Amino acid sequence: MKKPLCTGFENPLGMSRRSFLNQVGMGLGGLALGSMMNPLQALTNNGPALSGTHFPAKAKRVIYLFQSGGPSQMDLFDYKPRLNTEHGQELPDSIRKGQRLTGMSTSQASFPLAGSPFEFKQHGESGAWFSETLPHMASIADKLCFVKSMYTEAINHGPAVTMMLSGSQIPGRPTAGSWLSYGLGSSNKNLPSYVVLTPKVAKGQPLTSRYWGSGFLPGRHDGVSFRADKDAVLYLNNPEGVSRSSRSKTINHLKEFHEYQVSQQSDPVLEAQIEQYEMAFRMQASVPEVSDISGESKATLELYGEGVTEPGTYAANCLLARRLAERDVPFVQVFHTGWDAHGNCPEKVRTNSKKTDQASTALIKDLESRGMLDDTLVIWGGEFGRTNYCQGKMTKTNFGRDHHPRCFTTWMAGGGIKPGYTHGVTDEYCYNLDQGGVHVHDFHATMMHLLGIDHERLTYKYQGRHFRLTDVHGHVVKEVLA
Amino acid sequence: MLPKNKPTSIAFIFIALSSFHAAEEISFNQDIKPILSDRCFKCHGPDAKNQESEFRLDTHEQATADLGDQFFGIVPGNIEESDLHWRIWEDVEEDMMPPLDSNLSLSDDEKKLLDQWIAEGAPYDEHWSIKALPKTVDAPTSESKWVRNDIDRFIEQGFAAREVIPAEESSREKWLRRASFDLTGLPPSLEDIENFLADKSEREYETVVDRLLASDAYAERMTSEWLDVARYSDSNGYQRDAERRVWPWRDWVIRAFQEGMPYDEFVTTQLAGDLLPDATQDDVLATAFNRLHGHLMEGGIVLEEYRVEYVADRTQTFGSAFLGLTTECARCHDHKYDPISTSEYYSLSSFFANIDESGLIAFFSDAVPTPALTLSNENADKEMAKAQKRIDSLSAELAATNTSPGAKTAFDKWLESKPNLDWPGRVAWISFDELDGRNIANAAAPDVPAKTTDLNVLVPGVTGKALQFTGDDKLEVFDTGHFPREHPFSASVWVRPNQHAPRESIFSRGGGADDAASMGYEFMLMDGKPTASLIHFWPGNAARVQAKEAVPTGQWSHLIMTYDGSSKASGLKILLNGKPMELEIVKDHLTKEVDNWHTPNGGLVRQHLVLGERYRDRGFVKGQIDEFQMFDREISDLEARLLYKMESESQILDTSNKTEELYSHFLATSYLPAMSLRSELQAARSDWNNVMDSLEDISVMRELEEPKPAYVLTRGAYDAHGEAVTANTPEALPPFPEDQPRNRLGLARWLTDPDHPLTARVTVNRYWQMIFGDGLVRTPEDFGSQGSNPTHPELLDWLARDFIENNWDLRHLLRQITLSATYRQSTFGDKSSIAKDPENRTFCRSNPNRLAAEMIRDNALAVSGLLVDKIGGPPVKPYEVAVSFKPMKPDDDDGLYRRSLYTLWKRNAPAPMMVAFDAPKRDVCNLRREPTTSPLQPLVILNGPQFVEAARVLGEKLLAKHQGDRTAVIEEAFTLLTSRQPDQMEAKILGDLYQAQRAEFDANPAEANALLEVGTSPVSLYENPREHAAATIVINAMMNINESLIKR
Repeated sequence: MKKPLCTGFENPLGMSRRSFLNQVGMGLGGLALGSMMNPLQALTNNGPALSGTHFPAKAKRVIYLFQSGGPSQMDLFDYKPRLNTEHGQELPDSIRKGQRLTGMSTSQASFPLAGSPFEFKQHGESGAWFSETLPHMASIADKLCFVKSMYTEAINHGPAVTMMLSGSQIPGRPTAGSWLSYGLGSSNKNLPSYVVLTPKVAKGQPLTSRYWGSGFLPGRHDGVSFRADKDAVLYLNNPEGVSRSSRSKTINHLKEFHEYQVSQQSDPVLEAQIEQYEMAFRMQASVPEVSDISGESKATLELYGEGVTEPGTYAANCLLARRLAERDVPFVQVFHTGWDAHGNCPEKVRTNSKKTDQASTALIKDLESRGMLDDTLVIWGGEFGRTNYCQGKMTKTNFGRDHHPRCFTTWMAGGGIKPGYTHGVTDEYCYNLDQGGVHVHDFHATMMHLLGIDHERLTYKYQGRHFRLTDVHGHVVKEVLA
Repeated sequence: MLPKNKPTSIAFIFIALSSFHAAEEISFNQDIKPILSDRCFKCHGPDAKNQESEFRLDTHEQATADLGDQFFGIVPGNIEESDLHWRIWEDVEEDMMPPLDSNLSLSDDEKKLLDQWIAEGAPYDEHWSIKALPKTVDAPTSESKWVRNDIDRFIEQGFAAREVIPAEESSREKWLRRASFDLTGLPPSLEDIENFLADKSEREYETVVDRLLASDAYAERMTSEWLDVARYSDSNGYQRDAERRVWPWRDWVIRAFQEGMPYDEFVTTQLAGDLLPDATQDDVLATAFNRLHGHLMEGGIVLEEYRVEYVADRTQTFGSAFLGLTTECARCHDHKYDPISTSEYYSLSSFFANIDESGLIAFFSDAVPTPALTLSNENADKEMAKAQKRIDSLSAELAATNTSPGAKTAFDKWLESKPNLDWPGRVAWISFDELDGRNIANAAAPDVPAKTTDLNVLVPGVTGKALQFTGDDKLEVFDTGHFPREHPFSASVWVRPNQHAPRESIFSRGGGADDAASMGYEFMLMDGKPTASLIHFWPGNAARVQAKEAVPTGQWSHLIMTYDGSSKASGLKILLNGKPMELEIVKDHLTKEVDNWHTPNGGLVRQHLVLGERYRDRGFVKGQIDEFQMFDREISDLEARLLYKMESESQILDTSNKTEELYSHFLATSYLPAMSLRSELQAARSDWNNVMDSLEDISVMRELEEPKPAYVLTRGAYDAHGEAVTANTPEALPPFPEDQPRNRLGLARWLTDPDHPLTARVTVNRYWQMIFGDGLVRTPEDFGSQGSNPTHPELLDWLARDFIENNWDLRHLLRQITLSATYRQSTFGDKSSIAKDPENRTFCRSNPNRLAAEMIRDNALAVSGLLVDKIGGPPVKPYEVAVSFKPMKPDDDDGLYRRSLYTLWKRNAPAPMMVAFDAPKRDVCNLRREPTTSPLQPLVILNGPQFVEAARVLGEKLLAKHQGDRTAVIEEAFTLLTSRQPDQMEAKILGDLYQAQRAEFDANPAEANALLEVGTSPVSLYENPREHAAATIVINAMMNINESLIKR
């Protein structure tokens, strides 16, 4: 045998090349359509980049309940009694290991450990830990899969959220939903393929439209942020004085006009435009329909709890997410803001738990009762965790926690996920990872895998390079797969 | 024939190659390099350090090297001996190349090409784009009637090669429409159309092009395009995205295009205007180009991480915009495809690092990130000159007075009067001897004690007790020490540091450290060295001195700082144990206020003087402070000595010896003429300062005198310094000129050298793309190995050389392009030619490009007559800002109707209509908008108030003009929107729509009135609102027909 000149690539899935080839087939490589199209093609070809998934998808859609601000892992899921026994004592140097802190607490003269003031109990057969602030989630413990060993490099909100959603700290890369929209498109032509639901009353760190931006992907892969007001989508409604029947006449005459032109000189640009206008007209009906919850049963509304009928609340957004999922919108991103607990940490944990616990739980139950949980991936998590030490002044009843990128907890449920399972372990201080670290890129790789996509093979060529959501990193976390 | 095209898709390669099986000779650049680059270089390319194989294919020498054991990757002319041949045809997984899991593969035709290339001797060639630009390029000769200018000769040659024929000439109306949008971004008026159609001079096309190029609208159109390149935004981006005032730079760009500034000068001024000899305010203003990146305003970040990011952004922008090279890859590892090593990347980026900037901008002040240019005006210049004159004369007078015979006489008299020490102006005096709860007495203000927390404790002091600080707990001294920068002051303090740390805050007043860009004054120990500063925005606008010597730990030292109100570092003094310390001037550029910090909403924060702690800074950890005193004047040396001797209570002045010290003390405290001059001087400084503070700043480039040390950052990490580098350009490009300074100006001279291989090529390509929709190189931002090869390399070179020889004149370039026969072609091409060249790589027809977002909106404004024709000024808020992600209140005046390039651009909530029509987010330099279609677009034009209002206003105008004649209304509106008359059938369909809409409104008359209320422009109600409403709908519908939106 000849000496190989190159040892080749590491096989990320651990399967033989032959079986990989068999499963993937040829011709699925993520061709960068946008970058090779001339304007005419770009204006007429809006198909997805992939002609199918790379391997059978476990989940058809994602609902990502993004907990912005950085939920405090050791006050919610990651039970650390040692912090209580050493409450008030200095964070040992052997644990901190000189790792960088944010500019907010790095100058502090002391770093006293802060134990969680909340009671922790194990729930379900899986025995997952929950603090007392999350009674609803605790009741579905066995449906959730925890990753307690998430980590990131970013230590501040903007960069960390950008990292969590786009795989890069620096603005300008496409977000996960955009990659999916680009790769798989949508089976519902009357609704956008990537819908974002933000709180009407946002507290805490600001959200920016970049968090659902398409970066360098064509603009149509931008997340569409539904507004909690009359125009759920930009200029969705006819102007005052224009009825649906009046608009229908306009669309029909425009169609007639363009069809006449096509009859004079066939032109794919024109044909694409006819379809575009009809789709817009249909969307004018389908978007209000999806937002209209008047047909939801009382039981369902009660399941989601307080605020569900008020557009723009977390509860209303969770319900709307289910309705969008029902209509096969492949990626729905729900934002909750307010977890940023630099001061008054116990109070912040309590209020934000209260605002999100019931509706997050309701979404899982609701999806399950409709038989949709099996092929819907639900994710709950923020951009980083919080420090085990107190930021600012510690008093007998109060303390703050700074940002902590080195470990935090995220849970997943539904399509393809191993329920009632906890992956990864943090150290006794909840500062470093003991085992099973899951980097943001690994998380993305896993999410893509569940959707049937090889994260290394959904690429887009931009500025000479084949970009992907996971940059040049990422391994599927096989342990969490069902 | 050889394929002229760089394969960009598998499908295309197949088509392209199947037509030329028996190729004659292979072109390395056209045929081989694209394959090697895309399929092989990732592991066998220039990034030697980060690939598993040592085998490299990027140079002939390496590709043909002896690999040992009688292995050769390539043996020129010998396929059998070349391992490359075997490996690419290998079907055993372990050995095949590219490996299976690389997700890369070679088609059989590509393999054959590689074989053929090896057989032909595997010749390498320099990459096309870095080959020197030829001194002369001859246009091919042609007898054809089709040809109108030299451009066409090159294009026509390509037709023959590809066996296509050109499209028919556009109708005059359509040509005029395209030229008007392409050159001015606005539609032709009816008058323009009539004039053009009536012009039989045979110079009618030239006349139009010259008119368009001379218009202000041209400058606005060109600026609009440049804003994408410059990632222009009226806000700072990142998370907080506060608005910033950078539009003066945008107006500079408009002026540059109006004046027809040569492109080399345009680039040089933006890159290095500050370094030009005798730089004017405008020259420096232009350099804001390099500060238009995002600025982070998010407390808690690590500043250096983001400073590095800003430098990288500038480097990336420089690379993409001017060199057409992607540099980002080389931040972390040697470029995988192009000859840019990591070390070369950091050498290049170091040109952009030498400014006094911070990675974080102030949350607690409006100070503009430094370096900043204060935009002055004639009036302010005059007032400041007046104040300065007065400052100079008062300073001279004061100096003279202090040495005058009168002063000496007065001094003698004063001595005779046996004066006491009376310590005037002592505004704080804290002895730390007793704690009353959390209060500590301030002898200078008995009613207002200072306040500490429980955690700072009293310990034995220099006299009595002292306060030991935790470092996290402050002592706050209320209502004193509130000094503007013209106000002199002094402070005296005993300190006992516990350790030496990079920063320890003794006392300060201000909004905190990084979050306020340190605005205020501060007295710190830095590695034990006493350091006094007055700061507007750290680091670029501040005065700071630092003692060369550190104070000892574990023992008491006495420190004094004094400040004379001059805003100069020389006005700061530090004394240790009564003796002046030797100081180093760290910063001496304080030009603006130091006492105006607040929350973004104007709320007051941290108003008072604090000791031992500072907001998000390192405090005086376990340090002790005793006997703190502050004076609202510069104290005398004599007082300083007594303070050190702890005789600050003493009233007795020893006048037994007539010393210099006594004389200075007399001048400082008792000589009335000097005292009054000092107060006049302070008033004059205040005048100067007030004018200065009222002027707006803009972030610009200002080169530091000493270049910042630059390093390779290992894997791109901001804190992983590798080898040191100095400013240089990549080796694969022309050498840096020896007669130029190693700074941005030298870099700009290098860039605009007439023989630079890239600059002119990249530029003419971008403008070609602006006109045709596609460049001659289809990857305008990437002229490297992974980019496309030019479809017409000789034309590209000819255009570039011609551009340079015509003094980099953009109007000349655009004139030639738009007057070519190539440009005159219709968008409806010859059918068989389209089939042969679906991507229009031969330019055998015009591309049916959709209007840019700005043009779509400006078109509606222009045809309706609503467009407000005003140039420049602050950004405006049209209707759409009300529905952006961060809704804002729209303007209620002209701001609704300005051209779209003036629309406020917020990075985090960009104008939604513009984004819907593919405007980039402007996070990074962007050279090409990707046109897309989505159902969200029709909603904007059908429902957006800007368009509905424009339709209403135009309807009203036309109904009045044509006295209700529907046919005439439709015809004129159609002509305005498409630049041609509708044919009979088209007119009929629109007429039917009119009738149908009228019927709708007849059935629901209230709806008509409701529709007519859209928009703020007044309705002088046409006699029949239903007819008007129907006209509104029809005209709005016409805004949506293909020809209104697509350039035809």
